[in-house]
Amino acid sequence: MSRYALVGNPNCGKTSLFNRLTGANAKVANYPGVTVERRSGFIQGLGTRVELIDLPGTYSLATSSLDEQVAKDMILGNIPGEPTPDLLIAVVDATNLQLGLGLVFELIALQRPMILVLNQMDAARARGLVIDTQGLAQDLGLPVITSIAVKRDGVDELLAALQPDQTVGHPSPQPLAESSIESIHSYIQTLLAKHVHQPASTPAWQNRLDSYVMHPIWGLAILMGILLVVFQAVFAWAEPFKEGIEWCVDNLKSLTQEQLPTGILRDFLSEGIIAGVGGVLVFLPQIIILFFFILVLEDSGYLARAAFLLDKPMRGIGLSGRAFIPLLSSFACAVPGIMATRTIGDPKERWISIMVAPLMTCSARLPVYTLIIAAFIPTQTVLGIFNLQGLTLFALYLAGVISGALIAWLLRKRKDGHSFPLLLELPNYRWPMPYHLWMGLRERAYIFLRRVGTIILSLTVIVWFLSTYPAAPPEANRAAIEYSFAGVIGQFIQPLFAPLGFNWQMCIALIPAMAAREIAVATLATVYAVSIETDVSSLGANLAASWSLPVALAYLAWFIYAPQCVSTIAVVRRETNSIGSTAFFVVYLFALAYGAALITYHLARQFL
Amino acid sequence: MQALTAEYLSPDVSTPVGHLSLTECSKGQEVILTELRPNAAFGEHDGAVTARMKALGFLPGVQLKVIGYGLFGRDPMAVQINGTKFALRRAEAHKLLVIPL
Repeated sequence: MSRYALVGNPNCGKTSLFNRLTGANAKVANYPGVTVERRSGFIQGLGTRVELIDLPGTYSLATSSLDEQVAKDMILGNIPGEPTPDLLIAVVDATNLQLGLGLVFELIALQRPMILVLNQMDAARARGLVIDTQGLAQDLGLPVITSIAVKRDGVDELLAALQPDQTVGHPSPQPLAESSIESIHSYIQTLLAKHVHQPASTPAWQNRLDSYVMHPIWGLAILMGILLVVFQAVFAWAEPFKEGIEWCVDNLKSLTQEQLPTGILRDFLSEGIIAGVGGVLVFLPQIIILFFFILVLEDSGYLARAAFLLDKPMRGIGLSGRAFIPLLSSFACAVPGIMATRTIGDPKERWISIMVAPLMTCSARLPVYTLIIAAFIPTQTVLGIFNLQGLTLFALYLAGVISGALIAWLLRKRKDGHSFPLLLELPNYRWPMPYHLWMGLRERAYIFLRRVGTIILSLTVIVWFLSTYPAAPPEANRAAIEYSFAGVIGQFIQPLFAPLGFNWQMCIALIPAMAAREIAVATLATVYAVSIETDVSSLGANLAASWSLPVALAYLAWFIYAPQCVSTIAVVRRETNSIGSTAFFVVYLFALAYGAALITYHLARQFL
Repeated sequence: MQALTAEYLSPDVSTPVGHLSLTECSKGQEVILTELRPNAAFGEHDGAVTARMKALGFLPGVQLKVIGYGLFGRDPMAVQINGTKFALRRAEAHKLLVIPL
């Protein structure tokens, strides 16, 4: 079987081309030992099976980012288990030839069989670019093909060129005699002058748009507006879908309980697997909506501008504009947020971003927050317009963000003191393409579901086991969970939490909450012997009767910080590839949670 | 804040007469890049930063246009070269010696 590899700059439309060529069969995995995504699929519409690999986007093979190292090693066949690709497909954005051809000449120097694809020819034609592809092909010693990845028939010419009879025995191009970067670039200038008619500048509308979007004041105002819309969408639009999934999970649970005989299997399926996995699955709509916006903003070219605007403020706390996207994602769920830190070039900054990502309030905390706020915070109007309950929720979000900023700043203090460059390309604005968006969302959803199906499922089973066994004795007069391992552990650790004012019921709820924070609500319902399905408000009333206000506030403070989610810990372990970092992550967050709850409890007792 | 300002300035290099550092250029100004010089702020990575900038097309002789600034301390800057726009921090921009057109 043949293997072809796509190589090109970030933003050259390589991934759209990949989606177009492989259709729906792409596979995303990691390269062994490193957290660089390996994307591969089979080319559709060729007579034979050809695997296409989408190498990480890279500007040059000379420098040493992890992505570029992987791209180079792949091309040269230096990665164990990854044979050398039979053909390199170098992709260049036709509207950005100078930058793209720089990489092409580095690839030519490797002397591998290759072809050159000038992508985004529609945009190039629209701005009046005329390219003599035959002349270019002759001077480069490579077949040169044009494509429009965003159009269905835009890759026909490329497909024809990829037919096996076209690529077999393809000669490798001859490298330039003089290989310094200066001489390569001056040769590119000669080539472009000879074969390309270029208009004087980028389209006026793009520059005009940039004068607002990148304006120091209007730009920030636009960014805040966009963020507001995104948050609104993530929390409001997802609600009906969330309810739909909850409805399905509940029905599946009751169906299992009706159809199966009473026993371990029934409990395992309904209470363990369906309830546990369902509890995490409800976040899928929020994650999809968030990624929809991130993909739209990314494909349109806006995200690089947002990173430009936020670079300086974020540098104040030791991060950079590049950390913005991962931290934004963490408001939906820290797991995709931590995975998105891969785009950060500075290893130290990436590490800090991973460490603080869970301090951005993820949606799993909302059920806990809303339950306790509704039970303890009176609905009263403050300063004429604000609702006290809403303000409390806002304060909890703010506490997370401010703590994240402080921790990042503290962690950065320990570094070697050298700057890391930003050097960020601000790509041309483009309309996001529905097909590409659809493929991107499918991929994100698949990655999330695969996690739910593997790590989260196994953790759920463990937590279910701890909360179910041993079973309550027949003469039991208290909730069954009190007799289980989780109950025993909860009561055992209660003295540790006594200084925070936590009672043993609260401690028990912390244990299954390790699978997913919102399970704490279900557990509290169990230990207070309330059926949560019928009446959430009665759980609130029960809590209000048995907890004092300082205790409730301390519990909220605990949930701001505690790394109460094993999936996050697992993903930190994978992305940092370090047990030490993972241990630090867990210990510092638990310490912070303990300290914050302790201070909250004692301050609240003094003043409330 | 004092430390932040100092990081852009590399005491070991001086600007030749008639040349400016890109950081001294204003929005809308068009300039020719003449030299990439070291900046101690990047420490041992300085060579790698220079190589990276060259790979992106920041080479002597190229024409640059300053197209925008960030709000705080006019940092980062946005420039256009060879039809491509880039965001540069002042530390990177300080490496670029230019002559105004």
